[in-house]
Amino acid sequence: MKLHQKGFLLVALSKSNTLWDDELIVQAFIEYNIFGDYSEKTIRIALDELSAAGLITRVEEKLEMNKQRAKLLFRYQLSDFGKARMIDTGLLDG
Amino acid sequence: MSNFTALPTTLTQALHSHYARNQRWGFMWALWTAILWGAWYVPGTALWYEHPYVDIPIDHQSTRLAATAVMTWIHAITVFLFLLLWNTSLGKVKDYARTMVRFRKISKWYALASLCGGPMAIFGSYMAMGFIGPVFAAISSLFYPVIGAVIARLWYKEKISKRAAIGMCIIIFGGMVIYGPSLFGEMDASNPNAWLGYVGGIMSAIGWGSEGAVAGRAMDVSDPDVGIHCRFSFEILFWGVFILPALAMFTDLPIKSLIIETVTHGKAMLWIILASACHAYCYTSFYKSFSLIGVGRGEAIGNLYAVFALIFIAAFTLQLPQWYFIVGLILTVLGSFVMFSEPAESVSNLRDHTDMNSNTAKG
Repeated sequence: MKLHQKGFLLVALSKSNTLWDDELIVQAFIEYNIFGDYSEKTIRIALDELSAAGLITRVEEKLEMNKQRAKLLFRYQLSDFGKARMIDTGLLDG
Repeated sequence: MSNFTALPTTLTQALHSHYARNQRWGFMWALWTAILWGAWYVPGTALWYEHPYVDIPIDHQSTRLAATAVMTWIHAITVFLFLLLWNTSLGKVKDYARTMVRFRKISKWYALASLCGGPMAIFGSYMAMGFIGPVFAAISSLFYPVIGAVIARLWYKEKISKRAAIGMCIIIFGGMVIYGPSLFGEMDASNPNAWLGYVGGIMSAIGWGSEGAVAGRAMDVSDPDVGIHCRFSFEILFWGVFILPALAMFTDLPIKSLIIETVTHGKAMLWIILASACHAYCYTSFYKSFSLIGVGRGEAIGNLYAVFALIFIAAFTLQLPQWYFIVGLILTVLGSFVMFSEPAESVSNLRDHTDMNSNTAKG
């Protein structure tokens, strides 16, 4: 069985040094065969929650201008606390 | 909580707006918790006035306790169904299954949270409503945020700023002002089983306080909508597989007939369904707020349920609130505003990571 969504996002970040949220969204779309605005927002909210909980940290942010709209993007990195919680919850080998 | 903004702004403005939006959503979910939790006391108490519960004599302690267990189990099943509806509409049912199967490392925390929240808090609260009354049931749980915040602080080092601590104290004091005089009015020396209600009240405060902190362990790495669904799945199992069958087999309590009479009695089921609808979405909001503003803050704002409980009870019993209600209302709302006025960015970073890392290293 596939990993649950937040678990997948954490594992994806553990495999790379840093990832932009757009890159994580593409990976999640492929993994779960999902697409669309709703799914994108769901993943962004999950990243917000992981960040608020301190499991991942925002190392860079940028504002992307797109047709009269500004889109805020974040580059994330797994925190030491996130690694510890991943080991605790079996998402990462200790 | 979209990352899109309608007008081009500077990066600093966009970041501030993003953090403020997350904080606002967190507090909004906590406020919904309070409204729905307050509403729950009306159908929860009304259930005791319906067959088969109203027919149990007041001095039949063990039968009334068995009835409480039965109503809590049926309540958990209907909450589960409402959550299934919620997660189906959000497209999270697969995520629920993926989270449930990781029992050894993740969903076990939801199982433990369900023990704190179900057989302890909800059971205790139904006891308090049945043996004493809804006003007592509501006041007796008011201290649960203090228990939750202390456990969260000691166990996983969640920050409690001075401002948050002051806000929590004001909210709790406000709740005491609202319910204190009513509590004394409800005390009835002629009720020999009142002590069971008091025990139930203490169980509900400890149960709900510890539930938030325990569930927080699993919510770090899983979805809050899914988490609450897991938590109620385990509660159904605990009651349905262990507690109720054990009571039916090893005692002469009428467990089977209580279950059958409850599910076949329309009015009892109506109250249970209404109570479950309130509780299902109250809990959903509760868990969502934890993810965004932390266990301590989520529980403290959720504590405004005391104000809403009094409003709903007054609306249904047509007994108008006393002067101390207004004083308490001002205090609890003031307390929530003291907490809400924290800078947005500070809420976005809830954990004391340095302490946590050193603790993990020691562990």
